[in-house]
Amino acid sequence: MSGREPLVRMVNISKSFGTVQALKDVDFEVGYQEVMGLVGDNGAGKSTLIKILTGVFPPDTGEIYFEGRRVDIRSPKEARDLGIETVYQDLALIPLMSISRNFFLGREPVVRMGPLRFLDKRRMDMTVREVLSEIGIKVRSPDEPVAVLSGGERQSVAIGRAVHFGAKLLILDEPTSALSVRETHKVLDYILEAKERGLSIIFITHNIYHVYSVADRFTILEHGHKVAEFRKDEVSAEEIIEIIRSGYREPKE
Amino acid sequence: MGQKTAAGSVKSPPRFFHLFALWLRQHPEFGAFAGTVIVFIGFSFTATRFLTADSMASILTVAAELGIVSAGITFLMISGEFDLSVGSVLGVAAMIFAMTSKAGWPHFAGWVLALLTSAGIGLLNGIIVTRTRIPSFITTLGAMMFWRGILLAVTGGFPISYFPREMPLMFFALNGRFAGQFRTSALWFLGIMLLLNLVLVRTRYGNAVYATGGNREAARVLGVATDKVKLINFVISAVLAGLAGCIQFSRFLSVDPMRGLGLELEAIAAAVIGGTLLTGGAGNLIGTLFGVLLVGMVRSGLVQAGAPAYWYQAFVGLIVVVAVIVNTNLRRWALK
Repeated sequence: MSGREPLVRMVNISKSFGTVQALKDVDFEVGYQEVMGLVGDNGAGKSTLIKILTGVFPPDTGEIYFEGRRVDIRSPKEARDLGIETVYQDLALIPLMSISRNFFLGREPVVRMGPLRFLDKRRMDMTVREVLSEIGIKVRSPDEPVAVLSGGERQSVAIGRAVHFGAKLLILDEPTSALSVRETHKVLDYILEAKERGLSIIFITHNIYHVYSVADRFTILEHGHKVAEFRKDEVSAEEIIEIIRSGYREPKE
Repeated sequence: MGQKTAAGSVKSPPRFFHLFALWLRQHPEFGAFAGTVIVFIGFSFTATRFLTADSMASILTVAAELGIVSAGITFLMISGEFDLSVGSVLGVAAMIFAMTSKAGWPHFAGWVLALLTSAGIGLLNGIIVTRTRIPSFITTLGAMMFWRGILLAVTGGFPISYFPREMPLMFFALNGRFAGQFRTSALWFLGIMLLLNLVLVRTRYGNAVYATGGNREAARVLGVATDKVKLINFVISAVLAGLAGCIQFSRFLSVDPMRGLGLELEAIAAAVIGGTLLTGGAGNLIGTLFGVLLVGMVRSGLVQAGAPAYWYQAFVGLIVVVAVIVNTNLRRWALK
Protein backbone atom coordinates (compact mmCIF):
# COMPACT_ATOMS: atom_id res chain seq x y z
CA MET A 1 0.00 0.00 0.00
CA SER A 2 2.85 2.35 -0.73
CA GLY A 3 2.09 6.00 -1.23
CA ARG A 4 -1.29 5.68 0.41
CA GLU A 5 -2.06 6.54 4.02
CA PRO A 6 -2.73 3.29 5.91
CA LEU A 7 -6.03 2.65 7.67
CA VAL A 8 -4.46 2.97 11.10
CA ARG A 9 -1.25 4.73 11.96
CA MET A 10 -0.11 4.97 15.57
CA VAL A 11 2.95 7.15 16.00
CA ASN A 12 5.37 7.33 18.91
CA ILE A 13 2.97 5.79 21.38
CA SER A 14 4.21 5.70 24.98
CA LYS A 15 2.33 4.67 28.06
CA SER A 16 3.37 4.01 31.61
CA PHE A 17 1.48 2.81 34.63
CA GLY A 18 3.18 4.23 37.70
CA THR A 19 6.82 3.27 37.35
CA VAL A 20 6.16 0.56 34.77
CA GLN A 21 6.83 1.60 31.19
CA ALA A 22 4.25 -0.45 29.30
CA LEU A 23 4.97 1.06 25.87
CA LYS A 24 7.92 3.14 24.66
CA ASP A 25 7.81 5.05 21.36
CA VAL A 26 5.91 2.42 19.47
CA ASP A 27 4.96 2.98 15.83
CA PHE A 28 2.27 0.71 14.48
CA GLU A 29 0.45 0.57 11.17
CA VAL A 30 -2.30 -1.47 9.61
CA GLY A 31 -3.03 -1.10 5.91
CA TYR A 32 -6.36 -1.44 4.12
CA GLN A 33 -7.54 -5.00 3.78
CA GLU A 34 -4.52 -6.27 5.63
CA VAL A 35 -4.21 -8.84 8.37
CA MET A 36 -1.63 -7.68 10.90
CA GLY A 37 -0.29 -10.21 13.36
CA LEU A 38 0.55 -8.54 16.67
CA VAL A 39 2.77 -10.92 18.58
CA GLY A 40 5.08 -10.99 21.57
CA ASP A 41 5.43 -12.62 24.93
CA ASN A 42 3.30 -11.91 27.98
CA GLY A 43 3.82 -8.35 29.17
CA ALA A 44 5.17 -7.24 25.80
CA GLY A 45 2.59 -4.48 25.56
CA LYS A 46 0.23 -5.99 22.98
CA SER A 47 -2.92 -5.47 24.96
CA THR A 48 -1.86 -2.02 26.15
CA LEU A 49 -1.40 -0.94 22.55
CA ILE A 50 -4.83 -2.31 21.62
CA LYS A 51 -6.50 -0.72 24.61
CA ILE A 52 -5.12 2.64 23.56
CA LEU A 53 -6.41 2.10 20.03
CA THR A 54 -9.85 1.14 21.31
CA GLY A 55 -10.16 4.04 23.73
CA VAL A 56 -9.98 2.09 26.96
CA PHE A 57 -7.27 4.49 28.11
CA PRO A 58 -5.36 7.32 26.42
CA PRO A 59 -1.63 7.18 25.56
CA ASP A 60 0.78 9.38 27.56
CA THR A 61 2.31 10.59 24.31
CA GLY A 62 1.82 9.80 20.65
CA GLU A 63 -0.76 10.24 17.95
CA ILE A 64 -3.32 8.06 16.26
CA TYR A 65 -4.43 8.48 12.65
CA PHE A 66 -7.45 6.61 11.34
CA GLU A 67 -8.15 6.78 7.59
CA GLY A 68 -5.57 9.53 7.46
CA ARG A 69 -7.31 11.72 10.03
CA ARG A 70 -5.88 12.50 13.44
CA VAL A 71 -8.24 11.06 16.06
CA ASP A 72 -8.62 11.12 19.82
CA ILE A 73 -10.36 7.95 20.89
CA ARG A 74 -11.72 8.52 24.35
CA SER A 75 -13.95 5.50 24.89
CA PRO A 76 -14.68 2.05 23.46
CA LYS A 77 -17.87 3.51 22.06
CA GLU A 78 -15.97 6.19 20.14
CA ALA A 79 -13.72 3.49 18.71
CA ARG A 80 -16.77 1.54 17.66
CA ASP A 81 -18.31 4.60 16.05
CA LEU A 82 -15.14 5.01 13.97
CA GLY A 83 -15.49 1.42 12.78
CA ILE A 84 -13.06 -0.30 15.12
CA GLU A 85 -14.57 -3.48 16.53
CA THR A 86 -12.86 -5.62 19.11
CA VAL A 87 -13.57 -9.25 19.84
CA TYR A 88 -12.10 -10.20 23.19
CA GLN A 89 -11.35 -13.81 23.93
CA ASP A 90 -13.68 -14.20 26.93
CA LEU A 91 -15.90 -11.21 26.37
CA ALA A 92 -17.08 -11.85 22.84
CA LEU A 93 -20.61 -12.85 23.75
CA ILE A 94 -22.74 -13.27 26.86
CA PRO A 95 -23.50 -17.00 27.26
CA LEU A 96 -26.81 -16.64 29.13
CA MET A 97 -28.36 -14.42 26.47
CA SER A 98 -29.82 -15.50 23.17
CA ILE A 99 -27.77 -15.32 19.98
CA SER A 100 -29.90 -12.60 18.48
CA ARG A 101 -29.89 -10.47 21.66
CA ASN A 102 -26.12 -10.81 21.77
CA PHE A 103 -25.70 -9.99 18.15
CA PHE A 104 -27.51 -6.68 18.44
CA LEU A 105 -26.49 -5.76 21.97
CA GLY A 106 -26.20 -1.98 22.20
CA ARG A 107 -27.44 -1.54 18.59
CA GLU A 108 -30.86 -3.14 18.64
CA PRO A 109 -33.24 -2.19 15.85
CA VAL A 110 -36.56 -0.91 17.18
CA VAL A 111 -40.08 -0.37 15.96
CA ARG A 112 -41.91 2.71 17.18
CA MET A 113 -45.38 2.57 18.64
CA GLY A 114 -46.23 6.14 19.50
CA PRO A 115 -43.66 7.32 22.02
CA LEU A 116 -42.62 3.74 22.78
CA ARG A 117 -39.86 1.80 21.12
CA PHE A 118 -39.82 -1.97 21.10
CA LEU A 119 -37.19 -4.38 19.83
CA ASP A 120 -37.72 -5.31 16.22
CA LYS A 121 -37.54 -9.01 16.99
CA ARG A 122 -38.44 -10.09 13.49
CA ARG A 123 -35.65 -8.10 11.89
CA MET A 124 -33.20 -9.23 14.57
CA ASP A 125 -34.02 -12.90 14.06
CA MET A 126 -33.97 -12.63 10.28
CA THR A 127 -30.56 -10.98 10.23
CA VAL A 128 -29.10 -13.47 12.67
CA ARG A 129 -30.47 -16.39 10.69
CA GLU A 130 -28.78 -15.04 7.55
CA VAL A 131 -25.45 -14.41 9.26
CA LEU A 132 -25.45 -17.83 10.94
CA SER A 133 -26.13 -19.63 7.68
CA GLU A 134 -23.36 -17.65 5.98
CA ILE A 135 -20.95 -18.73 8.69
CA GLY A 136 -22.31 -22.26 8.51
CA ILE A 137 -23.61 -22.55 12.05
CA LYS A 138 -26.73 -24.64 12.45
CA VAL A 139 -29.03 -23.72 15.31
CA ARG A 140 -32.72 -24.26 15.57
CA SER A 141 -33.50 -20.67 16.38
CA PRO A 142 -31.76 -17.34 16.95
CA ASP A 143 -33.42 -17.37 20.38
CA GLU A 144 -31.12 -20.16 21.48
CA PRO A 145 -28.75 -19.10 24.25
CA VAL A 146 -25.13 -18.57 23.20
CA ALA A 147 -24.25 -21.26 25.74
CA VAL A 148 -25.22 -23.91 23.16
CA LEU A 149 -22.54 -22.69 20.72
CA SER A 150 -18.99 -24.02 20.74
CA GLY A 151 -16.06 -21.71 21.37
CA GLY A 152 -15.25 -21.45 17.68
CA GLU A 153 -18.85 -20.71 16.79
CA ARG A 154 -18.91 -17.92 19.36
CA GLN A 155 -15.80 -16.35 17.87
CA SER A 156 -17.28 -16.65 14.40
CA VAL A 157 -20.57 -15.07 15.47
CA ALA A 158 -18.67 -12.19 17.08
CA ILE A 159 -16.65 -11.70 13.88
CA GLY A 160 -19.83 -11.93 11.83
CA ARG A 161 -21.35 -9.24 14.01
CA ALA A 162 -18.43 -6.91 13.33
CA VAL A 163 -18.70 -7.54 9.58
CA HIS A 164 -22.45 -7.01 9.63
CA PHE A 165 -22.19 -3.67 11.37
CA GLY A 166 -19.70 -2.40 8.83
CA ALA A 167 -16.50 -2.48 10.85
CA LYS A 168 -13.39 -1.24 9.04
CA LEU A 169 -10.92 -2.61 11.51
CA LEU A 170 -11.43 -5.81 13.44
CA ILE A 171 -9.27 -6.52 16.47
CA LEU A 172 -9.14 -10.16 17.55
CA ASP A 173 -7.67 -10.94 20.93
CA GLU A 174 -6.50 -14.57 21.06
CA PRO A 175 -9.40 -15.77 18.90
CA THR A 176 -8.09 -19.32 18.63
CA SER A 177 -6.48 -19.93 21.98
CA ALA A 178 -9.22 -22.10 23.48
CA LEU A 179 -10.25 -23.93 20.34
CA SER A 180 -9.86 -27.42 18.94
CA VAL A 181 -7.82 -27.91 15.77
CA ARG A 182 -10.86 -28.16 13.52
CA GLU A 183 -12.53 -25.15 15.09
CA THR A 184 -9.34 -23.15 14.81
CA HIS A 185 -9.30 -23.76 11.07
CA LYS A 186 -12.88 -22.63 10.73
CA VAL A 187 -12.18 -19.40 12.60
CA LEU A 188 -9.01 -18.77 10.56
CA ASP A 189 -10.98 -19.29 7.35
CA TYR A 190 -13.57 -16.91 8.58
CA ILE A 191 -10.92 -14.29 9.32
CA LEU A 192 -9.73 -14.53 5.72
CA GLU A 193 -13.30 -14.18 4.54
CA ALA A 194 -13.72 -11.02 6.61
CA LYS A 195 -10.57 -9.71 4.91
CA GLU A 196 -12.00 -10.56 1.47
CA ARG A 197 -14.95 -8.41 2.37
CA GLY A 198 -12.64 -5.46 2.81
CA LEU A 199 -11.88 -5.42 6.51
CA SER A 200 -8.49 -4.91 8.07
CA ILE A 201 -7.66 -7.16 10.96
CA ILE A 202 -5.31 -7.05 13.92
CA PHE A 203 -4.73 -10.57 15.16
CA ILE A 204 -3.21 -10.76 18.64
CA THR A 205 -1.95 -14.15 19.71
CA HIS A 206 0.68 -16.32 21.32
CA ASN A 207 0.25 -18.98 18.72
CA ILE A 208 2.54 -17.98 15.86
CA TYR A 209 1.43 -20.84 13.62
CA HIS A 210 -2.19 -19.74 13.77
CA VAL A 211 -1.44 -16.14 12.93
CA TYR A 212 1.23 -17.03 10.37
CA SER A 213 -1.27 -18.83 8.18
CA VAL A 214 -3.50 -15.78 7.77
CA ALA A 215 -1.40 -12.64 8.41
CA ASP A 216 0.14 -10.38 5.75
CA ARG A 217 2.53 -8.67 8.15
CA PHE A 218 3.77 -9.08 11.70
CA THR A 219 4.68 -6.65 14.44
CA ILE A 220 6.69 -8.06 17.31
CA LEU A 221 6.64 -6.30 20.65
CA GLU A 222 8.84 -6.93 23.62
CA HIS A 223 8.94 -5.18 26.97
CA GLY A 224 7.00 -2.26 25.52
CA HIS A 225 9.27 -1.80 22.48
CA LYS A 226 8.60 -2.69 18.91
CA VAL A 227 11.49 -5.02 18.14
CA ALA A 228 10.63 -6.02 14.60
CA GLU A 229 8.18 -5.69 11.77
CA PHE A 230 8.06 -8.04 8.81
CA ARG A 231 6.10 -8.82 5.71
CA LYS A 232 5.19 -12.45 5.52
CA ASP A 233 7.64 -13.12 2.66
CA GLU A 234 10.54 -11.81 4.75
CA VAL A 235 10.23 -14.25 7.62
CA SER A 236 9.22 -17.76 8.58
CA ALA A 237 7.08 -18.75 11.54
CA GLU A 238 10.12 -20.37 13.16
CA GLU A 239 12.10 -17.16 12.86
CA ILE A 240 9.34 -15.18 14.55
CA ILE A 241 9.26 -17.68 17.40
CA GLU A 242 13.04 -17.46 17.68
CA ILE A 243 12.90 -13.66 17.90
CA ILE A 244 10.29 -13.78 20.66
CA ARG A 245 12.20 -16.52 22.49
CA SER A 246 15.60 -14.87 22.40
CA GLY A 247 14.51 -11.28 22.90
CA TYR A 248 15.91 -9.87 19.67
CA ARG A 249 16.46 -6.13 19.45
CA GLU A 250 16.31 -4.19 16.26
CA PRO A 251 19.92 -3.27 15.43
CA LYS A 252 19.08 0.35 14.64
CA GLU A 253 20.79 2.18 17.53
CA MET B 1 -37.12 -42.28 27.55
CA GLY B 2 -39.64 -41.26 24.99
CA GLN B 3 -41.77 -44.40 24.85
CA LYS B 4 -44.74 -42.55 26.20
CA THR B 5 -44.88 -39.98 23.42
CA ALA B 6 -47.78 -39.95 21.02
CA ALA B 7 -48.03 -42.57 18.29
CA GLY B 8 -47.22 -40.04 15.56
CA SER B 9 -43.71 -39.50 16.84
CA VAL B 10 -42.77 -43.15 17.33
CA LYS B 11 -40.14 -42.85 14.61
CA SER B 12 -38.02 -40.53 16.73
CA PRO B 13 -39.09 -40.96 20.33
CA PRO B 14 -36.80 -38.33 21.89
CA ARG B 15 -38.20 -35.63 19.64
CA PHE B 16 -40.83 -34.52 22.14
CA PHE B 17 -38.21 -34.19 24.84
CA HIS B 18 -35.91 -32.40 22.49
CA LEU B 19 -38.53 -29.78 21.63
CA PHE B 20 -39.41 -29.46 25.28
CA ALA B 21 -35.74 -28.84 26.10
CA LEU B 22 -35.55 -26.15 23.43
CA TRP B 23 -38.66 -24.52 24.81
CA LEU B 24 -37.32 -24.76 28.34
CA ARG B 25 -34.15 -22.87 27.44
CA GLN B 26 -36.20 -19.76 26.93
CA HIS B 27 -38.63 -20.38 29.77
CA PRO B 28 -36.90 -20.48 33.14
CA GLU B 29 -40.28 -19.83 34.76
CA PHE B 30 -41.47 -23.37 34.00
CA GLY B 31 -40.31 -24.75 37.36
CA ALA B 32 -42.27 -22.15 39.33
CA PHE B 33 -45.31 -22.67 37.13
CA ALA B 34 -45.24 -26.42 37.71
CA GLY B 35 -44.74 -25.89 41.44
CA THR B 36 -47.69 -23.51 41.58
CA VAL B 37 -49.92 -26.04 39.85
CA ILE B 38 -48.80 -28.88 42.13
CA VAL B 39 -49.26 -26.88 45.34
CA PHE B 40 -52.60 -25.61 44.07
CA ILE B 41 -53.84 -29.14 43.47
CA GLY B 42 -52.44 -30.25 46.82
CA PHE B 43 -54.30 -27.59 48.76
CA SER B 44 -57.48 -28.16 46.75
CA PHE B 45 -57.67 -31.57 48.36
CA THR B 46 -56.37 -30.80 51.84
CA ALA B 47 -57.82 -27.36 52.59
CA THR B 48 -61.58 -27.44 52.51
CA ARG B 49 -62.28 -23.80 51.68
CA PHE B 50 -59.29 -23.38 49.38
CA LEU B 51 -61.25 -23.40 46.12
CA THR B 52 -63.43 -20.38 46.92
CA ALA B 53 -63.33 -16.86 45.55
CA ASP B 54 -62.59 -15.47 49.01
CA SER B 55 -59.65 -17.78 49.37
CA MET B 56 -58.29 -16.79 45.95
CA ALA B 57 -58.72 -13.16 46.92
CA SER B 58 -56.75 -13.60 50.13
CA ILE B 59 -53.95 -15.35 48.24
CA LEU B 60 -53.83 -12.49 45.77
CA THR B 61 -53.76 -9.92 48.57
CA VAL B 62 -50.68 -11.53 50.09
CA ALA B 63 -49.09 -12.17 46.70
CA ALA B 64 -49.71 -8.63 45.44
CA GLU B 65 -47.88 -6.82 48.23
CA LEU B 66 -44.98 -9.26 48.17
CA GLY B 67 -45.03 -9.40 44.38
CA ILE B 68 -44.64 -5.66 43.85
CA VAL B 69 -41.49 -5.75 45.98
CA SER B 70 -40.29 -8.93 44.32
CA ALA B 71 -40.79 -7.47 40.82
CA GLY B 72 -38.27 -4.72 41.58
CA ILE B 73 -35.89 -7.19 43.18
CA THR B 74 -36.10 -9.45 40.14
CA PHE B 75 -35.19 -6.61 37.82
CA LEU B 76 -32.24 -5.70 40.01
CA MET B 77 -31.10 -9.30 40.42
CA ILE B 78 -31.11 -9.88 36.67
CA SER B 79 -28.74 -6.93 36.36
CA GLY B 80 -26.50 -8.65 38.88
CA GLU B 81 -27.20 -6.81 42.15
CA PHE B 82 -29.12 -7.35 45.39
CA ASP B 83 -31.26 -5.13 47.54
CA LEU B 84 -31.64 -6.19 51.15
CA SER B 85 -33.01 -2.80 52.15
CA VAL B 86 -36.44 -3.17 50.50
CA GLY B 87 -38.09 -4.24 53.76
CA SER B 88 -36.84 -1.12 55.52
CA VAL B 89 -37.73 1.07 52.55
CA LEU B 90 -41.23 -0.38 52.66
CA GLY B 91 -41.44 0.57 56.34
CA VAL B 92 -40.10 4.08 55.74
CA ALA B 93 -42.54 4.71 52.89
CA ALA B 94 -45.50 3.38 54.86
CA MET B 95 -44.50 5.56 57.80
CA ILE B 96 -44.20 8.69 55.65
CA PHE B 97 -47.57 7.96 54.08
CA ALA B 98 -49.10 7.43 57.55
CA MET B 99 -47.56 10.53 59.12
CA THR B 100 -48.47 12.86 56.24
CA SER B 101 -52.02 11.47 56.18
CA LYS B 102 -52.34 11.99 59.90
CA ALA B 103 -50.94 15.52 59.57
CA GLY B 104 -53.78 16.31 57.16
CA TRP B 105 -51.78 16.39 53.92
CA PRO B 106 -53.61 15.53 50.73
CA HIS B 107 -53.20 11.78 50.44
CA PHE B 108 -51.84 12.00 46.96
CA ALA B 109 -49.07 14.37 48.09
CA GLY B 110 -48.14 12.06 50.96
CA TRP B 111 -48.00 9.14 48.56
CA VAL B 112 -45.75 11.03 46.15
CA LEU B 113 -43.44 12.07 48.99
CA ALA B 114 -43.22 8.45 50.17
CA LEU B 115 -42.28 7.29 46.66
CA LEU B 116 -39.78 10.12 46.17
CA THR B 117 -38.10 9.27 49.46
CA SER B 118 -37.92 5.62 48.41
CA ALA B 119 -36.41 6.66 45.08
CA GLY B 120 -33.83 8.72 46.96
CA ILE B 121 -32.84 5.75 49.12
CA GLY B 122 -32.57 3.55 46.03
CA LEU B 123 -30.46 6.13 44.24
CA LEU B 124 -28.14 6.34 47.24
CA ASN B 125 -27.77 2.53 47.28
CA GLY B 126 -27.02 2.59 43.59
CA ILE B 127 -24.47 5.40 43.80
CA ILE B 128 -22.61 3.68 46.63
CA VAL B 129 -22.53 0.35 44.79
CA THR B 130 -21.47 1.71 41.40
CA ARG B 131 -18.96 4.25 42.69
CA THR B 132 -17.22 2.20 45.36
CA ARG B 133 -17.68 -1.27 43.81
CA ILE B 134 -18.63 -2.57 47.25
CA PRO B 135 -20.87 -5.64 46.85
CA SER B 136 -24.53 -4.61 46.96
CA PHE B 137 -25.10 -7.32 49.55
CA ILE B 138 -23.02 -5.29 52.01
CA THR B 139 -24.20 -1.85 50.91
CA THR B 140 -27.86 -2.71 51.18
CA LEU B 141 -27.36 -4.69 54.38
CA GLY B 142 -26.07 -1.45 55.85
CA ALA B 143 -28.96 0.48 54.31
CA MET B 144 -31.43 -2.03 55.71
CA MET B 145 -30.13 -1.54 59.26
CA PHE B 146 -29.70 2.21 58.88
CA TRP B 147 -33.23 2.96 57.69
CA ARG B 148 -34.78 0.55 60.14
CA GLY B 149 -32.89 2.35 62.88
CA ILE B 150 -34.06 5.75 61.65
CA LEU B 151 -37.62 4.44 61.58
CA LEU B 152 -37.39 3.24 65.18
CA ALA B 153 -35.73 6.43 66.36
CA VAL B 154 -38.23 8.76 64.72
CA THR B 155 -41.30 6.88 65.95
CA GLY B 156 -39.85 5.97 69.34
CA GLY B 157 -40.89 2.42 68.50
CA PHE B 158 -44.63 3.18 68.54
CA PRO B 159 -47.05 2.33 65.77
CA ILE B 160 -48.94 5.04 63.92
CA SER B 161 -52.59 4.62 63.06
CA TYR B 162 -54.85 6.70 60.89
CA PHE B 163 -58.56 6.09 60.84
CA PRO B 164 -60.33 8.44 58.44
CA ARG B 165 -64.11 8.66 58.76
CA GLU B 166 -64.52 7.31 55.28
CA MET B 167 -62.12 5.50 52.98
CA PRO B 168 -60.09 8.13 51.09
CA LEU B 169 -60.06 7.76 47.32
CA MET B 170 -56.26 7.36 47.29
CA PHE B 171 -56.51 4.45 49.73
CA PHE B 172 -59.18 2.85 47.59
CA ALA B 173 -57.01 3.26 44.52
CA LEU B 174 -54.09 1.62 46.29
CA ASN B 175 -55.81 -1.23 48.06
CA GLY B 176 -59.61 -0.92 48.08
CA ARG B 177 -62.00 -3.83 47.85
CA PHE B 178 -63.86 -4.57 44.67
CA ALA B 179 -65.72 -7.64 43.48
CA GLY B 180 -66.12 -9.19 46.92
CA GLN B 181 -62.83 -9.75 48.71
CA PHE B 182 -60.61 -8.88 45.76
CA ARG B 183 -58.45 -5.79 46.19
CA THR B 184 -57.09 -3.19 43.81
CA SER B 185 -53.57 -4.14 44.95
CA ALA B 186 -53.92 -7.19 42.74
CA LEU B 187 -54.36 -4.89 39.73
CA TRP B 188 -51.26 -2.89 40.64
CA PHE B 189 -49.39 -6.15 41.01
CA LEU B 190 -50.44 -7.61 37.67
CA GLY B 191 -50.00 -4.30 35.88
CA ILE B 192 -46.47 -3.82 37.23
CA MET B 193 -45.51 -7.40 36.42
CA LEU B 194 -46.70 -7.13 32.83
CA LEU B 195 -45.16 -3.69 32.30
CA LEU B 196 -41.77 -4.66 33.71
CA ASN B 197 -41.76 -7.92 31.79
CA LEU B 198 -42.51 -6.03 28.60
CA VAL B 199 -39.58 -3.71 29.31
CA LEU B 200 -37.33 -6.67 30.06
CA VAL B 201 -38.18 -8.80 27.06
CA ARG B 202 -39.13 -6.29 24.38
CA THR B 203 -36.97 -3.19 24.82
CA ARG B 204 -33.37 -2.17 24.39
CA TYR B 205 -33.22 -1.36 28.08
CA GLY B 206 -34.23 -4.94 28.92
CA ASN B 207 -31.44 -6.23 26.73
CA ALA B 208 -29.01 -3.99 28.59
CA VAL B 209 -30.31 -5.33 31.93
CA TYR B 210 -29.67 -8.95 30.91
CA ALA B 211 -26.25 -8.09 29.51
CA THR B 212 -25.20 -6.16 32.61
CA GLY B 213 -26.00 -9.13 34.84
CA GLY B 214 -24.79 -11.75 32.38
CA ASN B 215 -21.29 -10.37 32.07
CA ARG B 216 -20.66 -6.80 33.15
CA GLU B 217 -17.26 -6.53 31.48
CA ALA B 218 -18.48 -7.92 28.16
CA ALA B 219 -21.52 -5.65 28.25
CA ARG B 220 -19.31 -2.64 28.94
CA VAL B 221 -16.95 -3.28 26.02
CA LEU B 222 -20.02 -3.69 23.81
CA GLY B 223 -21.14 -0.21 24.76
CA VAL B 224 -23.75 -0.87 27.47
CA ALA B 225 -23.76 1.78 30.22
CA THR B 226 -23.73 -0.85 32.95
CA ASP B 227 -23.45 1.55 35.89
CA LYS B 228 -26.43 3.53 34.67
CA VAL B 229 -28.47 0.35 34.29
CA LYS B 230 -27.68 -0.66 37.86
CA LEU B 231 -28.46 2.79 39.21
CA ILE B 232 -31.86 2.83 37.50
CA ASN B 233 -32.64 -0.67 38.76
CA PHE B 234 -31.79 0.24 42.35
CA VAL B 235 -34.26 3.11 42.04
CA ILE B 236 -36.94 0.84 40.53
CA SER B 237 -36.45 -1.68 43.31
CA ALA B 238 -36.76 0.95 46.05
CA VAL B 239 -39.73 2.77 44.50
CA LEU B 240 -41.67 -0.48 44.16
CA ALA B 241 -40.87 -1.36 47.79
CA GLY B 242 -42.17 2.10 48.75
CA LEU B 243 -45.31 1.58 46.68
CA ALA B 244 -45.89 -1.76 48.41
CA GLY B 245 -45.53 0.04 51.77
CA CYS B 246 -48.23 2.57 50.83
CA ILE B 247 -50.46 -0.22 49.56
CA GLN B 248 -50.02 -2.15 52.76
CA PHE B 249 -50.77 0.90 54.88
CA SER B 250 -53.97 1.45 52.92
CA ARG B 251 -55.05 -2.02 53.99
CA PHE B 252 -54.08 -1.96 57.67
CA LEU B 253 -54.52 1.80 58.28
CA SER B 254 -51.72 1.47 60.77
CA VAL B 255 -48.01 0.92 60.58
CA ASP B 256 -45.46 -0.07 63.17
CA PRO B 257 -41.74 0.58 62.81
CA MET B 258 -41.01 -3.11 62.28
CA ARG B 259 -43.20 -3.20 59.17
CA GLY B 260 -41.52 -5.04 56.29
CA LEU B 261 -38.97 -6.79 58.48
CA GLY B 262 -37.71 -9.92 56.74
CA LEU B 263 -39.64 -9.10 53.58
CA GLU B 264 -36.44 -8.70 51.55
CA LEU B 265 -35.64 -12.38 51.93
CA GLU B 266 -39.14 -13.45 51.01
CA ALA B 267 -38.99 -11.23 47.92
CA ILE B 268 -35.64 -12.69 46.88
CA ALA B 269 -36.99 -16.18 47.58
CA ALA B 270 -39.95 -15.58 45.26
CA ALA B 271 -37.65 -14.34 42.49
CA VAL B 272 -35.36 -17.33 42.89
CA ILE B 273 -38.27 -19.79 42.89
CA GLY B 274 -39.28 -18.14 39.63
CA GLY B 275 -35.97 -19.03 38.01
CA THR B 276 -34.08 -15.76 38.40
CA LEU B 277 -30.40 -16.50 38.87
CA LEU B 278 -28.82 -15.29 42.10
CA THR B 279 -25.76 -14.46 40.04
CA GLY B 280 -27.68 -12.36 37.52
CA GLY B 281 -28.15 -12.47 33.78
CA ALA B 282 -31.20 -14.71 33.64
CA GLY B 283 -34.78 -14.75 34.79
CA ASN B 284 -38.02 -12.97 34.07
CA LEU B 285 -41.09 -11.60 35.81
CA ILE B 286 -43.45 -14.35 34.75
CA GLY B 287 -41.36 -16.66 36.93
CA THR B 288 -41.52 -14.19 39.80
CA LEU B 289 -45.28 -13.95 39.32
CA PHE B 290 -45.59 -17.70 39.89
CA GLY B 291 -43.02 -17.49 42.68
CA VAL B 292 -45.11 -15.03 44.70
CA LEU B 293 -48.35 -16.85 43.91
CA LEU B 294 -46.73 -19.98 45.30
CA VAL B 295 -45.66 -18.18 48.47
CA GLY B 296 -49.09 -16.56 48.83
CA MET B 297 -50.83 -19.89 48.35
CA VAL B 298 -48.66 -21.57 50.94
CA ARG B 299 -49.41 -18.82 53.45
CA SER B 300 -53.21 -18.98 53.11
CA GLY B 301 -53.41 -22.65 52.26
CA LEU B 302 -51.56 -23.85 55.35
CA VAL B 303 -53.87 -21.88 57.60
CA GLN B 304 -56.91 -23.20 55.81
CA ALA B 305 -55.58 -26.75 55.95
CA GLY B 306 -55.51 -26.35 59.71
CA ALA B 307 -51.73 -26.23 60.11
CA PRO B 308 -50.38 -23.77 62.70
CA ALA B 309 -49.19 -20.58 61.00
CA TYR B 310 -45.68 -21.27 62.27
CA TRP B 311 -45.25 -23.91 59.61
CA TYR B 312 -45.38 -21.26 56.93
CA GLN B 313 -41.72 -20.25 57.13
CA ALA B 314 -40.51 -23.83 57.20
CA PHE B 315 -42.60 -24.65 54.16
CA VAL B 316 -41.40 -21.64 52.16
CA GLY B 317 -37.82 -22.50 53.08
CA LEU B 318 -38.34 -25.99 51.76
CA ILE B 319 -39.87 -24.70 48.54
CA VAL B 320 -36.95 -22.34 47.89
CA VAL B 321 -34.37 -25.09 48.11
CA VAL B 322 -36.40 -27.60 46.12
CA ALA B 323 -37.22 -24.97 43.49
CA VAL B 324 -33.59 -24.03 42.98
CA ILE B 325 -32.54 -27.67 42.71
CA VAL B 326 -35.28 -28.31 40.16
CA ASN B 327 -34.59 -25.10 38.23
CA THR B 328 -30.85 -25.79 38.10
CA ASN B 329 -31.33 -29.34 36.88
CA LEU B 330 -33.91 -28.31 34.31
CA ARG B 331 -31.55 -25.65 33.00
CA ARG B 332 -28.68 -28.10 32.76
CA TRP B 333 -30.80 -30.70 31.06
CA ALA B 334 -32.24 -28.20 28.59
CA LEU B 335 -28.79 -27.04 27.50
CA LYS B 336 -27.57 -30.56 26.76
